[in-house]
Amino acid sequence: MRQETIRRLFSLALLFTLIIIFGTTSKYFLTPNNIFTLLREAAVTGILAVGVTFVIITAGIDLSTGALVALIAMICARLLYSTTLSVPVILLIGAIIGILAGSLNGFLVAKLKLPDFIATLSTQGIFRGLTLVFAIREHGVISNKVIQNPAFIILGGHINGLYLATIAFIIIAVIGQFILRETRFGIYTYAVGANLKSANLSGINSDRVKIMVYTISGLCCAIGAFFLAAKMQSATPEMGIGLEFDVIAAVVVGGCSFSGGRGDVFGSVIGTLFMAVLTNGLYKYNFPAAYQIIIKGLVIVVMVIFDSMYQKFMEARTTKAKKLEDMYAQGNGPETGVAQ
Amino acid sequence: MKKRFSKKCITIVGILTLVVSLLLTGCSVSTSNPSNTPAASSDNSTSTVAAKNPYQDAIKIGFVPNVIGDSVAAAWGEGIKRELKYYTNITLQAFDGKASAETQSQIMKDLINQKYDCIILQANDSAALAGTVKEAEAAGIPVITLNLDVDTPHAALVAMVDYEAGNLVAEQIAKSIGDKDGNIVIIQAPPGASRGINVEKGFRDGIAKHPNLKILDAQNGEWLTEKGNEVMRDFLTKYPKIDAVFAINDAMAEGASQAAEAAGRLKDMVIWGADGEKKALEYIEQGKLTGTIYTNCYDQGATAARMGLYFIGALGQIDSSRFTKTPIIKMAPIVVTKETVGSISADMRW
Repeated sequence: MRQETIRRLFSLALLFTLIIIFGTTSKYFLTPNNIFTLLREAAVTGILAVGVTFVIITAGIDLSTGALVALIAMICARLLYSTTLSVPVILLIGAIIGILAGSLNGFLVAKLKLPDFIATLSTQGIFRGLTLVFAIREHGVISNKVIQNPAFIILGGHINGLYLATIAFIIIAVIGQFILRETRFGIYTYAVGANLKSANLSGINSDRVKIMVYTISGLCCAIGAFFLAAKMQSATPEMGIGLEFDVIAAVVVGGCSFSGGRGDVFGSVIGTLFMAVLTNGLYKYNFPAAYQIIIKGLVIVVMVIFDSMYQKFMEARTTKAKKLEDMYAQGNGPETGVAQ
Repeated sequence: MKKRFSKKCITIVGILTLVVSLLLTGCSVSTSNPSNTPAASSDNSTSTVAAKNPYQDAIKIGFVPNVIGDSVAAAWGEGIKRELKYYTNITLQAFDGKASAETQSQIMKDLINQKYDCIILQANDSAALAGTVKEAEAAGIPVITLNLDVDTPHAALVAMVDYEAGNLVAEQIAKSIGDKDGNIVIIQAPPGASRGINVEKGFRDGIAKHPNLKILDAQNGEWLTEKGNEVMRDFLTKYPKIDAVFAINDAMAEGASQAAEAAGRLKDMVIWGADGEKKALEYIEQGKLTGTIYTNCYDQGATAARMGLYFIGALGQIDSSRFTKTPIIKMAPIVVTKETVGSISADMRW
């Protein structure tokens, strides 16, 4: 627990260092407008990251998030354009599609035992293709429309500058963290990721846990899609391409490990903010565009290297401490302990 | 135990759904607040922006292409740079749109916050960028779009011809085939790309005037040489007689030419591209490509920069945020074949 706190404090410190660097070197960074924009940009990635955190903790991966966001956004846009359904109904349909699509991923991974990478890569293709199917067409060609419905657009709005998307992000993150840390399902999620065999042996229905985490990810995609479509006031077939990688990067930078069993939603929130601050900050300098991407890539690599080194260091310390403890317990501690 | 667990799972889903619905109700309450869309709220503030002198005042211009590595975008960037070279008071900054409307709107939003003086934008999507372009215009930042119009009036659109380009190619192909029956294949742009749609429409309308010409097939080549090559190979195995190929851009036409050459059927057909990039002009010189529709992209970039400077200098007198329609400047198309390719000099090639 103490280790985790240190790790957490460290990533928070890094985040604040970055903020201070950008804040002192650019006069536009720490303006209220920019902070609100930054938090808004972080929101959609962040909402998705909450779901993906669950998936990655079970040692899984979800590559279909970006495509699913596009599909749900497109279905919402299509329904708004060609039907007279009310906005809550449309959002409910979107949420149901998210849940169904997520549980499809879970079913493929847990029940049909497809490798998660392949399963979600295939569903990514399916969702992206369906997005094209649902796209609004005029004379047979795709023609994206600006969403005019004020009740839907309001989702992209703000209260005194604070965007609704940001508020949703905070609420979802809090709920996600609560589920992960305070419920039995959360414990099961960690157990399945840390050691699948022993989780199964101890009576956890790991298939069900896996299906659930992908379903949560699907639902988060739906919520993210609403806010993205409202922000862009439209949906395009190319929406959310590459978004899945931004999300995974945020989650991994936030301390989740691909091998599972580690990390939490709070970490992913920090990771998301870190990436958002970095992206936003780099816009403020006259770097050639190529260097902006390189710097971003380098920072991710450094963060992940740091994380794995820290992890190794801590593991080594724990095993060493344990060894010493065992020796003490056997009564011949001090001598051999010093010798070692 | 199992039952309890599944119950809990259902509760969790329930909780999440509840949050969604709670959010919804929360939002419908705030419908009464008209200041929710920033674009609408800042509509009245435009007149406060003062004009700047483009020759003296510090000016920041942002260039946001769809993808920075694209040859057309690179030529535009170079054209803009050439035009602004003599103004030491102007800083030009390019950003990578990463072929994503979301990224572009994120960058636009940032440039608005940073109080840029003008934005030159190659929009990824006309609907998806409308919101931020409107916002920029409302904040007194003239937006000059390149090639693709945005679904909201703004300072200016500087465009290559699209429909006309397709039409010109159709005329050329009809001329070369003459009165004989002709089979034509099209290598398309990705579905939804508006430039591709317009060029293809122009082409199809042009071909429709000639009943002896038949379009056999049309497949998506995703703007790419490799993909154009793949599609063409498929066409060559499927159709024993192809008289003309039209690829919506040069890159795909180059791929098609390679495929036809490999199959030994390059002599049997004419292959046309569009855009006029450097490599396509070389292919035309080598006889591998029949022709293309050339646009001077340096000039197009420079034109966009000049328009930007004009609107910066005219702020306060001409308020582009009040435009009801976007002024359009169309770059003159040049039909390039082996006979005329020499007229495109080295400094015009991109």
